Order: sequence, then C-alpha cells, then structure tokens
Amino acid sequence: MKVPIMIERRERPFDPVPKPGPSEEGGGPTRPETGSPDKDNLLKRMRKVDPKQAERYRQRTGQ
Amino acid sequence: MRLFGIETEYGIARQDLDHMDPVVESMELVRAYLTAAFERAWDYSGEDPHQDARGFRVPGLQQDQEELEFAKTDAHRPFSFYDMKSDLVLPNGARFYNDHTHPEYSTPECRNLRDLVAHDRAGERVVQRAADRRNRALGGPRVTLYKNNTDFHGHSYGCHDNYLVARSIPFPALVKGLLPFLVSRQLVAGAGKVGIESQEAGVRPGTFQLSQRADFMETELSVDTMHNRPILNTRDEPHADPTRYRRLHLIVGDANMSEYATALKVGTTRLVLDLIAREAAPDLELEHPVTAIKVFSRDPDLKTVVRRKSGKSISGLELQTAYYLAAEKALSGMEEETDWILGEWGQTLTDLEQDRGRLVGRLDWVTKLWLLETFMEAERLAWSDPWVASLDLEYHNVDPERGLFLGLEAEGKTTRLTTDAEVEAALETGPSDTRGGLRGLCVRRFREQIASVQWERVQFRGWVKTKALDLGDLFEPTAVQALRQVLESAATPDDALQAWNAINKETLI
Repeated sequence: MKVPIMIERRERPFDPVPKPGPSEEGGGPTRPETGSPDKDNLLKRMRKVDPKQAERYRQRTGQ
Repeated sequence: MRLFGIETEYGIARQDLDHMDPVVESMELVRAYLTAAFERAWDYSGEDPHQDARGFRVPGLQQDQEELEFAKTDAHRPFSFYDMKSDLVLPNGARFYNDHTHPEYSTPECRNLRDLVAHDRAGERVVQRAADRRNRALGGPRVTLYKNNTDFHGHSYGCHDNYLVARSIPFPALVKGLLPFLVSRQLVAGAGKVGIESQEAGVRPGTFQLSQRADFMETELSVDTMHNRPILNTRDEPHADPTRYRRLHLIVGDANMSEYATALKVGTTRLVLDLIAREAAPDLELEHPVTAIKVFSRDPDLKTVVRRKSGKSISGLELQTAYYLAAEKALSGMEEETDWILGEWGQTLTDLEQDRGRLVGRLDWVTKLWLLETFMEAERLAWSDPWVASLDLEYHNVDPERGLFLGLEAEGKTTRLTTDAEVEAALETGPSDTRGGLRGLCVRRFREQIASVQWERVQFRGWVKTKALDLGDLFEPTAVQALRQVLESAATPDDALQAWNAINKETLI
C-alpha cells in the first residue's frame, strides 16, 4: 500500500507558542535556523564531552 | 474527560567515582531537593502492578527475583524501604522519588498539551536543582543527570506516558487500534540512539536508530515493565474509580528533550485514543509488531516495510499517515488543540517524507542525527567511535551548561512551546483544571495536616482517624474548579471537607 504523503499544511487555529511581544516577530512555532553557519558554540560544547563517558556509564535496569 | 501525564526516570552518574552506589545516589539526589527533613507521606495502597487489564491477576512479575536479590542487598543498609524511596509530593502536585535507583519525576495530571509540556520541563528543572544542591554538598560538579532511556550496555529505564481512558472501551479494541500506531510512533517521538542493544546483553556499535526503547521491546502485551517489556503494557492500575476508568500506561516511548516531540507524542496518542473510542481507527494490524518496532527504529531512511496481517506490506511512514488521515477525517474542526495536533502531525509527516532537515530542532532523533553527523564530519569520526555514543548521552544531559540539546535550545535552534516563565510557574503550581493541581494546592495550604497522599486521595490528620479527600472520580473541570474554590477559601482541612461534602456533586457535571 502506498499512502500519499503530500499533506497540505493547515492553518493553525491554535497557537501553543506564546503571543509575541511588541518587539518580537512571528506568531507560530519558530522554525530554527539550522542552516546557520554558527555551529561553533555547539561544536565547542561537543568537543568538551569525554569520549569515554558512554563506555563508563552504567545504570540498573528501570521500568 | 481528558487527562494525561508523563513519568520520567532519569539516568544518574557520579563523575568522580568508578563505582557509585545507585541506591544511595538516587535517594540523596531526591532528598537534596528538600529544604526540610524528609517525612514519609506517599500512600502506596493504590499501587497494584500485578493486576492485568486482560482480566486476570498475575502471581508475580519477571522482575520479582531480581528485586528480591536487590532487597536482600538493600536490607543491610541503615535505612528503610520508605527512606530509600524518599517519595515527595511537590507543591505543583507532582511526585518526585527514587524508583528502582532512578530519580523519577511524575508530572501532575494535565488536561492540555501546553500544561503537560510545561510540567515535563519543570521536572527537568526539579532534578537539575536537586543535582545542583547535591553537588554543592559534595564540593563540586560530581552528579550528572540524563533524561534518556539507556546506559548503552543493555539497561533501560523508562519514560511512561499515561492516559485516562473510559473502562467502557473494550481492552482488545485498545490493543488492535494502538499497536500499529505505537510501533510507528517513534518516527515522530523517537529520541535517537547510537548502537543496537538487547536486554542486559551489551551493545553493538556502528549504527544510528530512531528510538532508545525499541531494542527493549520483547513482546506485544505484558504486565511486566522491567523484563519482557511490552509494546502495550497491560498493567491495570487506574488510580481512579476502577468501574469507570482505565489508566493506559505506555512504557514504549522515549524520553524527549524536545518540547515539540513531547507534545506530538502525547497529542497524537490522544487522537488515536479518540479514534478508538469512536470505532474510527484504521485496521492496520501487523503480523509481527515486535519485529516491526525494531526494524523501523533501525532504518532512519524510513524505507523499510513490514507485513500486515492482511498480507500487504506497509512502512512506518505509511502507518503514521493512515492514522493521521483517519484522525483528520474524524476529529478535525472540533477544538483548537486537536486542530493544532493535526496540523503539526501532518506537516511533520510531510517533512519526514520530503526534507527531514526541516525537523531539526523539532524531532529529537532528527536533531540528534544532525548534531552527530555535523560533529563526525568535523572530527572525521565513524559511527563506531566511542565518542559518538558519548555525544548521544550528552544530548540528554539536563545541565543547561553541558547538555547538547539544551545548548541548541539556548541558541534558539529548537522549537519551544513554553516560555521560561511558564516552566517556572509550573514548578510552583499544578494545572488549574485537574486534580493534580488540587493535590498541589493541598500541599501548599495544608502541608502540616496531611497524613498521606496518593494519586486519587489526600488523607488529613487531626482526628482519631484520618479523613480523606477523595479524588478518584474528580475529572470534570467544573467539579475541579468548585473544589479548588473550597480549598482556597477554607481555613482548615476540616472546613474544606465539610464544605465539599455539603455540595451536591450532581450539580457540577
């Protein structure tokens, strides 16, 4: 079965994001600028991660 | 009647110890949140994990033997079972305690997604504040908390989403309608994971999958939660009038860092429950749901198909789309929140099909994959490099100074549905329209007079016998509002109980 996935984006009658103040823009959920070249801070944060921390990480089984 | 909540078990680690005692660490973490001495208040009498929704009671759970072994070990400790649990009931109606060596935050019951997301985020702040205090006492940043579901060595811990469901809906109808949906829900709500695990049997590195929990699903239906985990948990523990309600206790889901993913996880499930109640859910039964949940998880390209009982095959995206289209047909235009869920669900499925890059900052697995690929490209790492799994773990660190998702959020690259002010408010008070908010109100107003608390009851002391405020059938917003006014205006619990008992409840429905 192939279900068509072309779904029209609906107008959002309900906006879960707070109404913007006078100095803010937009009204719906903000789509992040992931294409931004400004990845330096994140890469810096990622480089600080101990490469072995997952190997050491141990938990008891939970639910 | 609409009510849901999320329980999250957090991973806990000590950075300065090779071998930490998880019982002590989890207990001390919870107690670090207290500003006064611990007093036992939680009432465990409403808990019965052996009752099965299929109409029978199991004599034991598969975890019992292991729990017995742990109990023998823990019996030598200088504290009681209740001390170890350290159950707290917070001023917002939430429960915060040590559950099987994991700090667990259970949100108060919520009626809308916005409240739920705010309270889920409040839980992150509760555990991180407890960690901050614990670290101050320890003299440095020793304790770290992770909102995830695996230790990458075959040990999983849960994030359970719960829904109040009418008892009149036959349980087999829930099973038939929910299983194909839950198998594919990870496309929207998976948190992403590096490697493949199996229960307490190590990890195979070198791959990325959609879900943290899919590896740990071993059967379709079961009352168990720690071993032989089911896609659909059959625990029948309603925490409400058992003649009228069920609590659907889903253990299949991942803990989400993304507010948007949390909202879609619970929102879409709520819509599918509405479809089942209307007998409008699509008939999509799968031949092997346990296999399907694993193969869908291990295919980030979303191309894999599985076999239906009808003999036809179907992909995870097609399953989700079929549910979406059924919900759109049956439920659209009825209320604001439903239309928001439908709009975002439909757009998310379209983006998954056409350009999943648009979902970075929205869906956890897409966001994590984007972060990891960005880093791996910069550092020329392979998926099998241990650093990649360590970055996966750090994605879930709830310390805003360290966590990768929270770093992304701080840079404005994620979709938020709440404000910081709303999350802070959720730390102080519960939802205004649920019994969870009333529980919190009792804690704020009458803490000294409370003898015990559980989900469906608050017991007050001050008489020869305690007196109960029964919340087991208090779900109508008008009734909640009436009791709230009573509790806010009463000088004592006795005044409140007398005033509440004098009200004709039939006028509140």
